[in-house]
Amino acid sequence: MSSLNARLLISVSVLLLFFFGVTIVVLDTAFRSAGEQSREDVLDGHLMALLAAAEPTDGGELAMPADLHDPRLSNIGSGLYAEIRNSDGVVRWSSKSALGHELPFGTTAQEGSRLFQKESLSDGTPLLTLSLSVQWEFPDGELKPFVFRVAESLDSFNAQVAKFRQQLFGWFAAVALVMLLAISTLLRRMLRPLRQIETEIGAIEEGKRQSLSGQYPTELQGVARNMNLLIESERARSDRYKATLDNLAHSLKTPLAAMRALLNQGLPEKFSGRFDEQIERMDEIVRYQLRKPATLATRNLVLTQVSVAKEVDRLVDGLRKVYHDKDPVIETAIEDGIQFRGDKGDFLELAGNLLDNACKWCASRVRITIRQALGETGVKGGLVLSVADDGPGIPADAAEALLQRGTRLDESTPGHGIGLAVVKDIAHSYGGQLSIQTADLGGAEITVTISPATT
Amino acid sequence: MRLLVIEDDATLRESLAERLAEAGFAVEQAADGKEGLYFALEYPIDLAIVDLGLPGMSGLDIIREARQQGKDFPILILTARDRWEDKVDGLDAGADDYVVKPFQPEEVIARVNALLRRSGGWSSSLMTAGPVTLDMSRQDLKVRDESIELTSFEYKIIEYLMIRAGQVISKTELTERLYDQDFERDSNVIEVFIGRLRKKMDPDNSIKPIETLRGRGYRFALDRGPDA
Repeated sequence: MSSLNARLLISVSVLLLFFFGVTIVVLDTAFRSAGEQSREDVLDGHLMALLAAAEPTDGGELAMPADLHDPRLSNIGSGLYAEIRNSDGVVRWSSKSALGHELPFGTTAQEGSRLFQKESLSDGTPLLTLSLSVQWEFPDGELKPFVFRVAESLDSFNAQVAKFRQQLFGWFAAVALVMLLAISTLLRRMLRPLRQIETEIGAIEEGKRQSLSGQYPTELQGVARNMNLLIESERARSDRYKATLDNLAHSLKTPLAAMRALLNQGLPEKFSGRFDEQIERMDEIVRYQLRKPATLATRNLVLTQVSVAKEVDRLVDGLRKVYHDKDPVIETAIEDGIQFRGDKGDFLELAGNLLDNACKWCASRVRITIRQALGETGVKGGLVLSVADDGPGIPADAAEALLQRGTRLDESTPGHGIGLAVVKDIAHSYGGQLSIQTADLGGAEITVTISPATT
Repeated sequence: MRLLVIEDDATLRESLAERLAEAGFAVEQAADGKEGLYFALEYPIDLAIVDLGLPGMSGLDIIREARQQGKDFPILILTARDRWEDKVDGLDAGADDYVVKPFQPEEVIARVNALLRRSGGWSSSLMTAGPVTLDMSRQDLKVRDESIELTSFEYKIIEYLMIRAGQVISKTELTERLYDQDFERDSNVIEVFIGRLRKKMDPDNSIKPIETLRGRGYRFALDRGPDA
């Protein structure tokens, strides 16, 4: 389960369901047993009245008066029934109400004790029966066993119970619904700050924000503060990392440059050439290692939105100065408002190296095209950066080699291979790809594709 | 040509300055940012070589400040970190080209020559004007395809005048930009050298490459070639 909201709602629903269920069962049972108790008392009253009304006859039977204590006994199918059986189970008397029905015989109660039973009429009407075995003492002193039995239909009682249940469920359902609605509203209110944090972190990742706003309830302020501290320290770390690399580069390369300038001053050509080779090697290593993408060390939290058009303009202006003599025509085709989500230095490195190579190799024309990349699902974002020139181009087998680290296509143009290898590294660190084609201008076209972030 | 080298590493600065001096430049040296800026603003400078990682004041700030003060001499930056971010920042601040450490001194000299040529409006590496051709990288002056033997100071003068072809250059400017500090500054010496140059380049006085403007100075008078 991923959402706190759903998690809480489901837990609360289960709890509610459980408590309401138990309550319903308890209430229902209590209501039922109270009802049954009162039914039994009523039946007992009827039985007592019958016992009092029975008169022994001379034939050793019991006679019942025509007028009984409850008129229902005289109405056919009234729902209240009575009968008297002898010890063989033969019906000796039965109330008029039972006409047409045969009361179920049931189990005979033990002598002198009452027995309540639930039975049903032949037509299925549920009954509560009470039977009592007695030894009737006749005037002549003879004792004869009889079973008195009264039965009442449970239809009305069941109907009552059903109605009660219906109301019970109805009310509880309504209460549960109201409670759940109230709770989910409450939850949404309570979780709003969390959603806000989520949105703001998203904005930070996209580089649209620099830190969390800090306007949170007390419980979250600590989290927000720590988050901001973390972002801050990540930024500081990234800056320190860059500064360290800068210092390292400066303190390594200045002596190397000094050594170069000192060579040829008194050393025979034979030695100076060899020394120079070694300096070259050291420089290559330092250069490659120091030009690793800035984001290899720190990702996500320190990314910003880089305005592509502005940086490309700066690069092109710079390159126009550097290639002043060659004066290539540099066309830029950049989609409006496009942003690069990442480190500014990394973007400059991508575009700078490609443009520099293109200016180096072109006859007179260079074109840089930048547009938004479409992800597999049609999500916008990411970018496709493509630099073409009208130079000699790069043959397919050489293209493969060029994509390898530090390989040079032309030893007389130093840095070409390293530049491209750096572009490749940066592209990869952003999950992108590098490809080399033939441009419609006639020379090489190198394309970096960085798909929209998958996060 | 008077160059300014601002670099804090003494070994590198001195050996670079030595190589530049061998190549015929007058060189000022500054070891930190503040001194560098002072030289850049107060001295007659034809080109500055600025290290970006300086103590006291960053190379970028020096470039910005110098440009803000209206100094338009070419600036070449030396950078240790060859990230494009640094290069673009430098070029954006007003530098004209960059060299990445560790450089070959020859590369610096080549860039310096190219920048100086560019500052005079020349875009090709061979400066051609009428029958006169100057190849800065070889320090070779040809008239009608024949190399002219020049002393180092004669070469400096014709190079300076030819880069600024069409402009009037005063004797003072020539003295300032071409003499090393310890030379005695005597404008009569310039006249002598100009006279020798005229004789060597134009013995029969037919092409008249150097014009004298009384009281103002000299001008390289030939029209620039078609590819200039």
